Amino acid sequence: MILRLGGGDKHIDPMTAGGPSAAYANRVRLDGKIGAPPPRWHTPRSAYIHVPFCRTMCAYCDFATFAGVEQHIPAYVASLADEIRIGSPGANPDVPLETMYLGGGTPSLLEPAQLETIITAIATRFGARLNLAEVTLEANPGFNPALIGSWVNLGVNRVSLGVQSLDDPTLKRLGRTHDAETAIRAVEALKACGSISVNLDLIYGLPWQTLEMWQEHLKRALETEPDHVSLYALAIEVGTPLASQVSSGQWSVPDDDLVADMYDVALPELTQAGFRHYEVSNWAKPGHESRHNLAYWRNEAYHGFGVGAHRYIDGRRSWNVRSLDHYLAAMQSGRPVEEGSETLGPDATPGETAMLALRMRDEGIDFARFIERFGIDPRERWRTIFDEVAPHGFLRVDDSRACLTDRGLLASNDIASRFL
Amino acid sequence: MIPRERIRNFCIIAHVDHGKSTLADRLLEVTGTISKRDLTEQVLDQMDLEREKGITIKAKAVRMLYRALDGLDYQLNLIDTPGHVDFAYEVSRALASCEGALLVVDAAQGIEAQTLANTYQAIEHNLSIIPVINKIDLPSAQPEHVADEVERVIGLAREDCIMASAKTGVGTIEILEAIVRQVPAPVGEASKPVRALIFDSHYDTHKGVVAYVRMIDGQLRAGQKIVMIQTGITADLLEVGAFRPKGVQEASLEPGEVGYIATGLKSVADCRVGDTVTDASRPAPEALDGYQPVKPMVYAGFFPVESTDFPLLRDALDKLKLNDAALVYQPETSVALGFGFRCGFLGLLHMEIVQERLERDYNLNLLATVPSVEYEVLTTKGEIIRVDNPSGLPSPDRIDTISEPWMGIQVVAPKIYIGAIMDLVTARRGEYKKMEYLDEGRVLLQYSVPLAEIIIDFFDQLKSRTQGYASLDYAIEGLRAGPLVRLDVLVNGEPVDALSLIIHRDKAYDHGRVLVEKLRGLIPRHMFEIPIQAAVGARVIARETVRAMRKDVLSKCYGGDISRKRKLLEKQKEGKLRMKRVGNVEIPQEAFLAVLKLS
Ligand SMILES: Nc1nc2c(ncn2[C@@H]2O[C@H](COP(=O)(O)OP(=O)(O)OP(=O)(O)O)[C@@H](O)[C@H]2O)c(=O)[nH]1
Ligand code: SF4
Ligand SMILES: [Mg+2]
Repeated sequence: MILRLGGGDKHIDPMTAGGPSAAYANRVRLDGKIGAPPPRWHTPRSAYIHVPFCRTMCAYCDFATFAGVEQHIPAYVASLADEIRIGSPGANPDVPLETMYLGGGTPSLLEPAQLETIITAIATRFGARLNLAEVTLEANPGFNPALIGSWVNLGVNRVSLGVQSLDDPTLKRLGRTHDAETAIRAVEALKACGSISVNLDLIYGLPWQTLEMWQEHLKRALETEPDHVSLYALAIEVGTPLASQVSSGQWSVPDDDLVADMYDVALPELTQAGFRHYEVSNWAKPGHESRHNLAYWRNEAYHGFGVGAHRYIDGRRSWNVRSLDHYLAAMQSGRPVEEGSETLGPDATPGETAMLALRMRDEGIDFARFIERFGIDPRERWRTIFDEVAPHGFLRVDDSRACLTDRGLLASNDIASRFL
Repeated sequence: MIPRERIRNFCIIAHVDHGKSTLADRLLEVTGTISKRDLTEQVLDQMDLEREKGITIKAKAVRMLYRALDGLDYQLNLIDTPGHVDFAYEVSRALASCEGALLVVDAAQGIEAQTLANTYQAIEHNLSIIPVINKIDLPSAQPEHVADEVERVIGLAREDCIMASAKTGVGTIEILEAIVRQVPAPVGEASKPVRALIFDSHYDTHKGVVAYVRMIDGQLRAGQKIVMIQTGITADLLEVGAFRPKGVQEASLEPGEVGYIATGLKSVADCRVGDTVTDASRPAPEALDGYQPVKPMVYAGFFPVESTDFPLLRDALDKLKLNDAALVYQPETSVALGFGFRCGFLGLLHMEIVQERLERDYNLNLLATVPSVEYEVLTTKGEIIRVDNPSGLPSPDRIDTISEPWMGIQVVAPKIYIGAIMDLVTARRGEYKKMEYLDEGRVLLQYSVPLAEIIIDFFDQLKSRTQGYASLDYAIEGLRAGPLVRLDVLVNGEPVDALSLIIHRDKAYDHGRVLVEKLRGLIPRHMFEIPIQAAVGARVIARETVRAMRKDVLSKCYGGDISRKRKLLEKQKEGKLRMKRVGNVEIPQEAFLAVLKLS
């Protein structure tokens, strides 16, 4: 099964594409009737698919993923395909899917046939209406480069590569299974195929990392010429091996100022290399912004399939069980895999939307979009917050939007929490 | 009825934890006042807090009937007294109600500071003292050694010491016999106008205030109209009786007896400890000696963490006050902490008890400010004003002198700790008075120390510097003038009233420096730089800076798990709401607590 890609034209800038009114206004609906399509914040154009398998567990990781249970992969793929075919609750079948994200875990561990099963299920469920602009596959260095061709054939046009670091001792400490050399070769192979937009994930603010080390490794990473980079400040999550190493005194929690310095030195480096900073932790060459992730930050609807997957449909957030066993058992006996849900009222949704919007560096809180979506003018609703925050150089407010500055992005929790 | 000649009124005095309450249990048991089955440990310590802390907070009286070896029945009235110096006045009234005292000394610990202080008080009240060496069952007991010490230090003959174990019951009969033989019967005349000494009281929802009294002259019966001589308050007696240990109604209270009167009054403040009860229709011409209205020694602000709880706090204080005449309070407004109450307490334990009851019984969450003593300020105009709150101190140019209360303290400790104790006392501005050897190994040290230096962490420091071997007792000596100043804290240029304190000039610098350093670590980084200054008057003596916030970010969105991110930020916001705002700075509660733990 080969997906037809539509709209994946790299010349369309994802930053301006989409949006509530631009792309879909006055479109002919798929049932043939004329009228506006349901809004993007109600009806998903994106689907997230979770693949919860990794070769080993990394020291900092608290995602829903499991190592050493590869024997369950076939059953999981089958269940996942079933879940996709049954469909998300409340999904409106009339609306085409634009982005799809195979995340994990390590989806690159799947064999092409297994990926095909999943994608076939997507096509069955949304088949005639597919209009996919972006299909992302998360991969870890160390995959077999021979697989790249099959990924492309399946419609993958974006690969997000978990490089994390280009320092071998660091990779070892983090429990990663690859070395720097392998990571660089993986990027090269992906770039070579020509039709894949490549993202690199890097972590900074590691307890043992110096500013110089970070600068050096970032430089080397940029030399591989990725299309997109995500730089994540390390979060020490409770229950992870790294957290216990920190509490046992093996490492100390990285100093906030040093981490801030690391962020500061990265900014000009990335600009110089031609990247645009478009979200707290994300930089893209023009046109390579992640549309799928933009849907999250714009607080738009999305499907979610698989262990621990979250979805947001018709104003309702819900999530699946996080345990692989429970997921498999539920799917096999026809019980629901959804574990919990929440629906924010009309009072809370604008605040949550603002919290997310502020993550986007240039888009920020777009006044026109807020007025269209909520009938609320942010300048009125959040006037006091704007007045309080703006003078300190963390927030810019102009006629059309309120955006965090570079300083503000790094301190976004304090500011975003005020909108909740 | 037991004739007056066969009444014995006695109390038990001891250093804290030497076994007073446990010995009381044994006496109750052997006299059959309480059956073994009903006996819980330290049966007289009924309050939750007493049981939890293992200490006696309120005085109580219990009447026992004892058939002595001479074949006659005796009425023994035991008054169990609080062991803590905060309640020294209650203790003195309890002693004034007795003719005898059991002096209990722990066979393993020997004489401690309070043993001595209590003994001197008992001697002052002319009590006949029966020394009891308790806990002889302990492997570490050295009863002979302790008996020597009793003889040498207190001057009671060592052969008069009764060897006992309140745990196993050894010596209980000997103690009862000694009470019968050695404690004089009370004197008093039934025909004279009524005089009864109130030595404690509590509030009962059915009977109103129930007062513990020691009858001197006359008789009290239900239905009688009484008047409290000192306060002039009158009441109709609902009931008279004795505790055995449950309240048992009696036809009358006779001269020399100890018992209770139920007054129907609404607040214990109407029935003050030390006041004299008399008959309203035939009042006694004179009150009994020794009445002192209770005077708080320590003051602190109590502020509800949730500002909406202010009315709840007021109601709770009003209710506590019904049962605690020593508690005083008045509304206070703090720029930093909002609305609360300035409260006065007998001491730190009293403060701790009140705070615990407010928090536990009334479900309040409180912020208490640094405790302060009451200063006497002579202004340049010659007026005298009392200041129990640093923010109430007049500006320096209006002050002529500031005086503060000084205490006489006694410390008993092994001699190897003399140096450590001396260091502590010196650091607390104390003055050496004298030293006596209790035996080859232990000394009694006497000093004068400002109360302000004692109420912050002194006892804990003493304990830790002497590995718990030192014991402490103190009593007020008087006021002394000194070079005292107010140390203010300014956060981002704004004074934080709740962090001000009155301190000796020579200590202001060090204290200020430690304080701002600590605050720097506790005040979160804001979007702007925050100077934290310690100042005396207009002079800044220490400064630290909380740098502007740089990193506070959730880097990753957790694969579409927006709920998690939102909840994290909601938590952060709630945390901020719980902080106190001064100017444009949010100060967390911990910052106000931190000043309590500086030393
Ligand atoms: N081994 C032993 N322990 C005892 C004896 N008498 C009391 N204790 C223990 O010593 C501790 C203190 O006893 P209490 O009777 O509460 O002391 P207290 O003197 O009333 O204390 P305050 O009311 O706080 O002044 C308790 O743990 C008792 O169980 C005794 O004869 N032998
Ligand atoms: S590869 Fe990624 S998902 Fe897997 S354990 Fe490591 S960090 Fe977690
Ligand atoms: Mg006791």
